Amino acid sequence: MSEAQVTKSQAVIVRDPGHTAMQLEDVAVSFNGRVAVRDATFDIAKNRVTSLIGPSGSGKTTLLRALNRLHDLTPGAKVSGRIVLEGTDIYRGDMTVTELRTRVGMVFQRPNPFPTMSIYDNVVSGLRFNGIKKKSLLDEAAETSLRSAALWDSVESRLKVAASNLSGGEQQRLCIARALAMDPEVLLMDEPTSALDPIATLKIEELMTTLKERVTIIIVTHNMQQAARISDDCAFLLMGEDRAGELIEFDTTEKIFNNPNDPRTLDYTLGRFG
Amino acid sequence: MNDLTQLEEPTEIDQSMREEIRRVSHATRARRLLISRVMTTLCALTLAVTAVPLVLLLFQLIKRGAPELTWTFFTKVPETPSLIAPNATGGLSNAILGSIALNIYAAILAIPVGVLVGVYLAESLSKFASALRIIAQTMAGAPSILMGLFAFSFVLQDLHVGFSAIAGSFALAVLMLPVIIIATEIAVLNVPNTLREAGLALGAKPHKVSMRVVIPSALTGIVTGCILAISRAIGETAPVLLVIGGGYLNTWKPLSPVSALPLSIYENAKSEWPSQRAQVWGAALLLVIFVFILSLTARIWASRKQKVSN
Amino acid sequence: MSLIGESIVDSELRGDKGVVEEFGSSTTSRSWYHYLLLAACVLFAAVSVGFVGSIIEKSGPTWLHHPATLITGGGWQSPNGPFGGLAMIIGTLETSLIALVIAVVIGLGTAISIVFFIPRRLRNIVATFVELLAAVPSIVYGLWGFLVLAPWMYSTVDPWLNSWPFAREIWGDPSQQYGPSLFLAAIVLGVMILPTFVAISREVIAVVPNDLIEASLSLGATRWQVIRKVVLPTSRIGLFGATFLALARATGETVAVALIAGGVAKVQFHLLNPGTSIASWIATEFGEAQGNEISALMALGVLLMLLSFSLSLVSRWLVGRQRKLLAKV
Repeated sequence: MSEAQVTKSQAVIVRDPGHTAMQLEDVAVSFNGRVAVRDATFDIAKNRVTSLIGPSGSGKTTLLRALNRLHDLTPGAKVSGRIVLEGTDIYRGDMTVTELRTRVGMVFQRPNPFPTMSIYDNVVSGLRFNGIKKKSLLDEAAETSLRSAALWDSVESRLKVAASNLSGGEQQRLCIARALAMDPEVLLMDEPTSALDPIATLKIEELMTTLKERVTIIIVTHNMQQAARISDDCAFLLMGEDRAGELIEFDTTEKIFNNPNDPRTLDYTLGRFG
Repeated sequence: MNDLTQLEEPTEIDQSMREEIRRVSHATRARRLLISRVMTTLCALTLAVTAVPLVLLLFQLIKRGAPELTWTFFTKVPETPSLIAPNATGGLSNAILGSIALNIYAAILAIPVGVLVGVYLAESLSKFASALRIIAQTMAGAPSILMGLFAFSFVLQDLHVGFSAIAGSFALAVLMLPVIIIATEIAVLNVPNTLREAGLALGAKPHKVSMRVVIPSALTGIVTGCILAISRAIGETAPVLLVIGGGYLNTWKPLSPVSALPLSIYENAKSEWPSQRAQVWGAALLLVIFVFILSLTARIWASRKQKVSN
Repeated sequence: MSLIGESIVDSELRGDKGVVEEFGSSTTSRSWYHYLLLAACVLFAAVSVGFVGSIIEKSGPTWLHHPATLITGGGWQSPNGPFGGLAMIIGTLETSLIALVIAVVIGLGTAISIVFFIPRRLRNIVATFVELLAAVPSIVYGLWGFLVLAPWMYSTVDPWLNSWPFAREIWGDPSQQYGPSLFLAAIVLGVMILPTFVAISREVIAVVPNDLIEASLSLGATRWQVIRKVVLPTSRIGLFGATFLALARATGETVAVALIAGGVAKVQFHLLNPGTSIASWIATEFGEAQGNEISALMALGVLLMLLSFSLSLVSRWLVGRQRKLLAKV
């Protein structure tokens, strides 16, 4: 077995399927033939925070966006391999992409509440998109998810106000609430705090530790320390010579940061390159 | 405030809420996807509906107009067909010359004033400037026939100048002014403030900064605006219709009556002679070619400067 | 870059850009440059005042003696009157409103298609093409409408239209129809303002941030829901601007309508009958007009001016209001 193969097989942590939210097998994403990320094989455990870390260009975001099929929007994008959500292949299985996205939610790098909608309308927008109209249901879901996002107290009295009256950190929590209102199984987060100030960042990090009891969280982060602080499992990706990102190592955060198997992982976590 | 204490264990109500959300979203999914399909198809259809008449128009334009663009067309004045010579239409050199003259005079009148006003609007916060801006925007949307009425009223009646090129140019200039003003203002506003500050930091007086630094930077946008204004003026019939007089001669002097391409088209479209009706397709094609060239030039110019400044 | 689009979308530029030293502040000495700029402004102000003033002045006699006839009267008798402008007013309203509906309904879908359904490589070409079409002079549309569309409609479409139930109420008496009609004018107007509307709408829709679209898709929205509930509301301001611009162009259109509406000043609503509009009537009658009739035509011009200025005002007010709503956003 060559070096690379040893690394790969060690990257898979076999978990009890009942405790697995999503499984990735040999997932690769390419754009017009150019491979952006490949060899992603690992399992995401339920109710844990899994972080994808690595330097720029290592394909973390690309991989994340494959998990809710956002690449469907990009002509020329191809996703190969298997991504399984609770037993169903999300690309080739029986699930429509709209259904997938109600089960796998996403929060983006910059807070992006819908500008023409109020706070309330933003939070329930997902529900409305999915055909839910009953006011009592919407109200209940709004309150529940705003509480989950630790935002209820500050917005309860001004739900009808335009969403952009909120500060950056509050807007991002609004976006989190919006995603949570759909009661997803998995929440994807693409560098959710990189555009926020340190206090807002801290608030959201605290949030994530409580949220994981309800949703499985997969977070892409540039910030190693953040990954070390909040994630339970960690996937380290790196750009290879062919300029494609690949999975180097996947393990518990503890292991990755204290005693990784691959020397490159160690180099990264020690800050030898970024 | 520790909001995190709000987080509770999932309750019974919670559970039923989640189930109902799942149920409704599942139940409505097929219908929603169908509606999406239908509506997006309809949108695509509207694209076709838009394209069809416009493509047909261009096709007819080229098909009927191209044969008319002969040497005679460009060099001979019009003739009136008669029964013995039903195809003796001559050319439209009078109209071509007239259009060129009209637009040159109009540009001379409109561009200097328009650019200056535009610069002022961009660099001044006074109430006067705000008022002028509103005036310019309002006039930009005014029907062009009104410019013709203005020219008639002022140049022909008040100044007692007869049907002439200058009257037509006056109307066209009034038409072009707001366009140039607005474009210039936008162009000057687009010059980054850092450039101005750099100029001032070097000790230059504000008006020198404006003249030597800001305007040259804004030149691309200004030129683009002028090109677009000219392109619009060339094709306008209504402003000139009432005041230029027309006629079959190759005139271009400001005080003499002139013809113009749009005018010829308008006059001959209803002609009883098929040959004259055919001839104006050539004029129409010529107008469109000209307008296209000007518009494309403006676009290319604008985007090239973008690339350079980036 | 599109000039028309920018003038709608522009005023965000104003912000804190552009003004470094305010002209006219007493601390700076005025240079010849200041005076030059001010002179140009005064000239422009004079021209615009003259613009409004001279038309109003020349129309004076009509307003003094026969204002009611102009607005409510039926027929137009050269050379001495009575000069009734009602037919023109009705014609202007009918043709522009129908044209606007055509342009907005079809144009909105077209703009959406261009931004979302056309492959990226083609998008620029199509956008350029649409802008070029928007620059085509209206006389060309008029020529095409008159020599190509009108005969075809008269022979092929009109008979079918006249066979509808309620045909007489909508279309009018077939014996009075001979080709040129209000309906034809409305269609050609619609085709004419379509590229303008599409060009601006496209630009406005294209700048809706991508991550709003991705966010809504990530919530499980269908494509149509994204367009309808996110993209269109976000681009509301610009779309309003586009609509008003298109309407302004339609109401002011002169020669195309003059060629194809039929030029008949009779007060009636039927669409397949010939009719006229304010602008086209001025254009056609002015050549031979004298004295009183000129005054009456100028008065029609004043009506047109009022219409145009009101549209401009409403448009500015609406856009300003939308801006304030979204500025809280």
